[in-house]
Amino acid sequence: TPRGATPSIPSRSLPARQPANVLEEARTRLHVSSVPESLPCREQEFQDIYSFVESKIVDGTGGCMYISGVPGTGKTATVHEVMRCLQHAADVDEIPPFLFVEINGMKMTDPHQAYVQILQKLTGQKATADHAAALLEKRFSNAAPRKETTVLLVDELDLLWTRKQNVMYNLFDWPTRRHARLVVLTIANTMDLPERIMINRVASRLGLTRMSFQPYSFKQLQQIITSRLNKVKAFEQDALQLVSRKVAALSGDARRCLDICRRATEICEHSAADPSGSGLVGISHVMEALDEMFSSAYITAIKCASLQEQLFLRAVIAEFRRLGLEEATFQQVFVQHQALCRVEGLQPVSVSEGLAVCQRLGACRLLLLEPSRLGVLQRVRLNVSQDDVLFALKAD
Amino acid sequence: MSKRKIQEAHLPIGECITQVQEILRVRLCHQQLPDRPEGLETQHKHLLELLKRTAVHGESNSVLIVGPRGAGKTMLLKCVLRDLLEEKEAQKNLLQVHLNGLLQTDDRIALKEITRQLHLENVVGDKVFGSFAENLAFLLEALKKGDRSSSRPVLFVLDEFDLFAHHKNQTLLYNLLDVSQSAQAPVAVVGITCRLDVLELLEKRVKSRFSHRQIHLLSNPTFPQYLAQVRTQLSLPADFPDAQFAEDWNASVKTLVEDKSAVDVLQRHFNSSKDFRSMHMLLMLCLSRVSVAKPAVKPADLLEASRLCFSDAKANILHGLSVLELCLIIAMKHLNDVYEGEPFNLQMVHNEFKKFLQRKSNSMYNFEQPVIMKAFEHLQQLELIRPLDSSAARIQREYQLMRLMLDHSQIMEALQKYPQCPTDIKQWAMSAFS
Repeated sequence: TPRGATPSIPSRSLPARQPANVLEEARTRLHVSSVPESLPCREQEFQDIYSFVESKIVDGTGGCMYISGVPGTGKTATVHEVMRCLQHAADVDEIPPFLFVEINGMKMTDPHQAYVQILQKLTGQKATADHAAALLEKRFSNAAPRKETTVLLVDELDLLWTRKQNVMYNLFDWPTRRHARLVVLTIANTMDLPERIMINRVASRLGLTRMSFQPYSFKQLQQIITSRLNKVKAFEQDALQLVSRKVAALSGDARRCLDICRRATEICEHSAADPSGSGLVGISHVMEALDEMFSSAYITAIKCASLQEQLFLRAVIAEFRRLGLEEATFQQVFVQHQALCRVEGLQPVSVSEGLAVCQRLGACRLLLLEPSRLGVLQRVRLNVSQDDVLFALKAD
Repeated sequence: MSKRKIQEAHLPIGECITQVQEILRVRLCHQQLPDRPEGLETQHKHLLELLKRTAVHGESNSVLIVGPRGAGKTMLLKCVLRDLLEEKEAQKNLLQVHLNGLLQTDDRIALKEITRQLHLENVVGDKVFGSFAENLAFLLEALKKGDRSSSRPVLFVLDEFDLFAHHKNQTLLYNLLDVSQSAQAPVAVVGITCRLDVLELLEKRVKSRFSHRQIHLLSNPTFPQYLAQVRTQLSLPADFPDAQFAEDWNASVKTLVEDKSAVDVLQRHFNSSKDFRSMHMLLMLCLSRVSVAKPAVKPADLLEASRLCFSDAKANILHGLSVLELCLIIAMKHLNDVYEGEPFNLQMVHNEFKKFLQRKSNSMYNFEQPVIMKAFEHLQQLELIRPLDSSAARIQREYQLMRLMLDHSQIMEALQKYPQCPTDIKQWAMSAFS
């Protein structure tokens, strides 16, 4: 990389258009990227993390915290908000000033790159991984007068796993040094990660300060959407409730909820008679969006398959029934296929053509196949349930 | 003046044929874009609106185009991009990055390619500098600096999307989708794949960042629509230089798709597969038989082309075998019948063959063991038989267990068509148990 280069995307020649009507406005507000000023439904977690970090900063000590929860439950957003509030408090001199550094396990190519990124964000220095580790070691173990507390956020912690676990060990060992003044907040998905993948001396240094983010309930999801919309009247109340109930029943992922709402506004806009006077997003629009995003395409795919492909699927099921197994070789299925062709009054297919049909079904994963060089000996399995296939074939 | 015009309008027949070949070949082989994607209007509208919002409003999005091979996924995307770039606002702003899972086989290569196509500052000439880690950090930094209203939107097209899901940790997908879900430079991530289960390949944090928009290309044309498509694919455009020839040609195409035998052939292709690529293949084979002497596509051409398409590959190999090799295949077929598909070795096959020779008592095919072995090896090379396990080195070749990779119908059919097949061998093959 050339020295002093400032990475940037070129700026646009024409400015971006601003939202013109209510639905567009709602869509902008509902985009996942527009994080609101305060996160609703996470007040308790916010308070816990805030007081933990604040007390460490005020005392000038260090410590670790482990935060877990399934994706889309607001972990990273909450921590960011805590940091924003603390920064504000530091600016008005309520608490001593501190440094905030953030790394993400998924955004680096190798666990050891963590050292490089931390060092670069702390001092702006560039170094190799080994050198950076040594420099950080020195920084955190030596006493220095008027040292500021450092808050380090480690996102996607499970990606920092190495065989000797030295990266994790170092991250959790530095806060225990007397002069380090380091607070480490770690985020991952699974609750039992420390027990599962960490060796004892690492897990013990991580400590027992843990917090888990529960999936959102439907009331919370509804509140999140309402607070995002912030008096922009674009949704019917029932529609919102339907979305939040559906998502809460499935995963409790707020991202999914917002994406579905966004899609529903699009559907509403398209279905409206005149684009300017489009009304509220109703139940029907939301239903359509939910269908689009949750339904699986297997049944449609079977319905749209060509006649020979459908016959082949029927032959597979017939052969499974005959064998009483869920697996058969192509040769066995092919015999059934020929018989079905005769029953349907079609010209029987050649083996090459039968193989081609089978491969096409395998390419879109309706069937699971062995490598095709096995020819007629390859084993065939269904990737959908037999009932789905029968339903799809019978429906018309 | 008018006389000259008429003279101009009538090109010599050779010239016309050259023109026809040129126009239709571009259409069939080079995947020329149609003016409007047929039967895909809703999908076209959805994708166009989506990309337009990214280009004009700076809204980040992610979408997957899913459909079987040959269903027109790339065609749809190209049509949408062509229509999108007609707008000045989109044309001036949109940056495009095209990646293919078959070319960018790991994230390191993909990242260099992204950096190169975006012309970031660490590109000098055509080379990208810095290590993998630095490239990733640089790209993420660049995207993070941007924001919705001021930086140019970037369109990432990931062809063969499912292959990107096999990269280590799915780092690239995570980062692209993460940018699309956070307040950074506006991006649109468009994935193209033929796998219906592609979402199950994604890790849960990557999946959570994907917007779950999927555009399915599962069109279900009826046979009359298929016929109409064949007709439009073969018809000449209105601006063909020789109007008279074009009229005759189009009339002949019309009679072709109404001909009974041609319709039967097309029905068979339609039953086998509905995708356009196999139709183009068939039509291309027809087109290659058009010449000055025969300036139109006849039903017989279609029959011949269809015969080429549907011929069985293994049966063709069997036609080229020697009589001894054929005898061995028949012996293997009998072994398969008697022992219900259990694997066999050379000795068993030879014994079966010897039984036949004893019964026939003529010593015409009484070959030595090495000759039989050679024939057996030849069959293995053609992959008509295949060893049971690949750890072959330890076992002697005579005793290695093998399986026959042919269906019985193929063997019987090949015997019927085998040039000058001896009658006793035919009879031997017919007899169920020797």
